[in-house]
Amino acid sequence: MAAAFMAYPELRHPFEAKPIHAEGSASVLYQGRQITLSETGSGPGLLINPDDLKRISGFELKPEGACYADMCIPLNSKLLTTQNGKQWFDLTAFADLLEQPYVFDQASSVWSFAEIPAKRDNMMVNGMAPDFEIPDRQGNVIRMTDLKGKKALIVTWSSW
Amino acid sequence: MPVWQQVYEEINDPDFVILCVAEDTGGEAVAGPIFDAAKATYIQIVDADHIISSAFNFVNVPSAAWIDEEGRIVRIDEGTYAKIHELGNKEQSIKFGNDVYTPALRDWVEKGAKSEFVQSVETVTGNIRELSFDQQKADAAFRLANLFREHGLTEKAEEYWNLTQTLNPESINFFRQNLTLSEEGSAGQSFMERRGEYESQKKDYYRPLDMDS
Repeated sequence: MAAAFMAYPELRHPFEAKPIHAEGSASVLYQGRQITLSETGSGPGLLINPDDLKRISGFELKPEGACYADMCIPLNSKLLTTQNGKQWFDLTAFADLLEQPYVFDQASSVWSFAEIPAKRDNMMVNGMAPDFEIPDRQGNVIRMTDLKGKKALIVTWSSW
Repeated sequence: MPVWQQVYEEINDPDFVILCVAEDTGGEAVAGPIFDAAKATYIQIVDADHIISSAFNFVNVPSAAWIDEEGRIVRIDEGTYAKIHELGNKEQSIKFGNDVYTPALRDWVEKGAKSEFVQSVETVTGNIRELSFDQQKADAAFRLANLFREHGLTEKAEEYWNLTQTLNPESINFFRQNLTLSEEGSAGQSFMERRGEYESQKKDYYRPLDMDS
């Protein structure tokens, strides 16, 4: 039998088992980043410290709501809740409101979020390149905004 | 990706960049040596989580976007080959790719908005794939699977890779990245059957190039 072409079965699971985060913590995956949260509220959704919202999604809490660029989502008692005198932001309720897909693995306390659709309107409606942030092989962080002033060909490929 | 390196050197314009993005889940171990062999000097990215494909709604490789100085997409989502490739020997070979894409790219770098290959906002937005809620959710499931893989949690990685393909069965990327990490490989029986299904249903495996618009 001929050797299988473009087959790397040895790379399917090459890693040793190790913890995803410290016990009692939770992790959020968003745009390729892992954000570890040392404290979360109790309940069915993901209740985060309101101060963590910006480092997760770029949205900032302001008097007019949760805001990103010129978009502001008004807050309500479902999004901002209080438990034992401490305030929490319900990130999953926020995602539901914005129709942002996510999956979570309860046993591992990991939530993985897809992009917020409203942040993509500028591409879908106006044809503007979406923001992204990704390291190159040399470790430099490449952002769409860094490419302003140049023409860019963005091309995906793979070994397969 | 020696062919893109050649194109990059030929165009040789300080205001033109190529971001060449490898979607291999095998990561640097698979894609790194290919970049190194090409002596690549363009921006090289190993994107095991498919962040760039997600950002531009790509579902296959190779796929590309042209982005102008203002950040406007002027072409998007085409089966992007820089030349005609030939696999095999003289008696029996498979040809794929095309020889019209690179000259068009060169024309755009030279002429900018005046290039006949620049598409209107309407054409560009019409060519961006609309992804359903579940297809977007598949991206989130895929990254969760990859996180579990990186932490040696093999069963969970498999569970969420399976969920990924259930949520987005149309994605060739998810299908083939899974096959490439198996004994069969990404161009074996499963791939041939899938490709055959596409052909019998007259579906485009790649969105065809339309260099007349």
